[in-house]
Amino acid sequence: MPEKGKIDSKQAVLLMISMILPTAILTIPAVTVKTARQDAWLSVMVATLAGLLIARLVVSLSLRFPGQTLFEFSEEILGKALGKMVGFLYIWLFFLYIGSGVVREFGVFLVTAVMPATPIIVFLIVVTAVAGYAVRNGLEVLCRFNQLFIPVTGLLVIVFLLSTLDMKLDRLLPVFDAGLAPIVKSAVTPTMWLGEIVTLAMIIPYLSKPKEAHRVAVLSILITGFFLTASIMEALLIFGPNLTGHWIFPTFNATRVVSIANFLERLEFIVIMAWVLGGIVKVGVFYYAVVLGSAQCLGLRDYRPLVLPVGVILVALSILLHGENIVEVLHYIPHVEVPFLLIVFEVGIPLLLLIVALVRGKGGKSN
Amino acid sequence: MVIVVVLVFLVIIALEVPGLVKEKMWRELTAFAVLLSFGMALSIPQALGLQLPSPNAPIELIFKPFAEWLTPK
Repeated sequence: MPEKGKIDSKQAVLLMISMILPTAILTIPAVTVKTARQDAWLSVMVATLAGLLIARLVVSLSLRFPGQTLFEFSEEILGKALGKMVGFLYIWLFFLYIGSGVVREFGVFLVTAVMPATPIIVFLIVVTAVAGYAVRNGLEVLCRFNQLFIPVTGLLVIVFLLSTLDMKLDRLLPVFDAGLAPIVKSAVTPTMWLGEIVTLAMIIPYLSKPKEAHRVAVLSILITGFFLTASIMEALLIFGPNLTGHWIFPTFNATRVVSIANFLERLEFIVIMAWVLGGIVKVGVFYYAVVLGSAQCLGLRDYRPLVLPVGVILVALSILLHGENIVEVLHYIPHVEVPFLLIVFEVGIPLLLLIVALVRGKGGKSN
Repeated sequence: MVIVVVLVFLVIIALEVPGLVKEKMWRELTAFAVLLSFGMALSIPQALGLQLPSPNAPIELIFKPFAEWLTPK
């Protein structure tokens, strides 16, 4: 077995939060507010419910095959050839796709909002190198790194509370203005982000108490959903739907507004810190899924030799797949990433695997 | 730029290959070689400034109706 580490449930919850939240908190507000306007916070709640369903599906499937990751039980369910094919699809089109996308978003955000004069390749290589170092040292190290730095994400709550001075509740009115359709439509994008919980199928075998996996999944989706709703509310209550929809990073701009007694200002560094540290962990999780998955699919004894080549591929793909600049990155999210990843990999294949497992009577009873 | 990229690849090979050969992990070595050559195939043309075809185009085409429903006019 390539991975020998064990993590406890708390670490897993924190890891899952860091896996979803960092990119979501920056990208989702602008995308959802464009369609659902002032009702965007409602659509995030809808998305949280959908995310809970996906989490339920994945964990139920995974618990039928204790001690096995996604790549191992797909082989057991579908047979060797088909199962390996599903595994390779997940590696190349899901984990590598999202991983390189996160590397890209990481660089694009820092270049667009913070350091416009630095070449983007610097950020791409630095984040991949740091994440790669953590991945090479194993799941436990990645989790501890995350545990150490996740309180920074908690600081976002303080920023939110400080910015209440600039908020006006009537910017959320009228509630339910355009009806149900826009709310459901704009719930699709956050659902794709929360659906990244599929990656938990890689982590469950390494939990010290796999039975708690349902609780892990539900807690991480709920906490992530809360932070996501809060970040959208913050932007909406400060700027209203028009302005929020036109900004690329509304949450980032919302924290820039905070000014208390002309003294406590420029709190956006908290968002940048949460983003940089969380971005590293997020890249790390998908990076880890790629190398561990490849090692399991190919039947290798050790996944560590694959870390460096996969890092090269991540950097190269991040430039190739996700466009030149922030405009192209934001174009690919609704046109490619959301439908493709959500329909095929987060709902389609897990559902198919569960149905086939039930029909063929594979695996033990769940729970 | 290309020289830097090639240098990076040489460093990666120098870091990993001796250990793998010493431990006789041939399977791992093959996987390493395949992945690394894929990485080279992706990155060296980009460093030369060539435009590689993006795999996004066919995906975008397949999901076009859904994406049109999803995004506001």
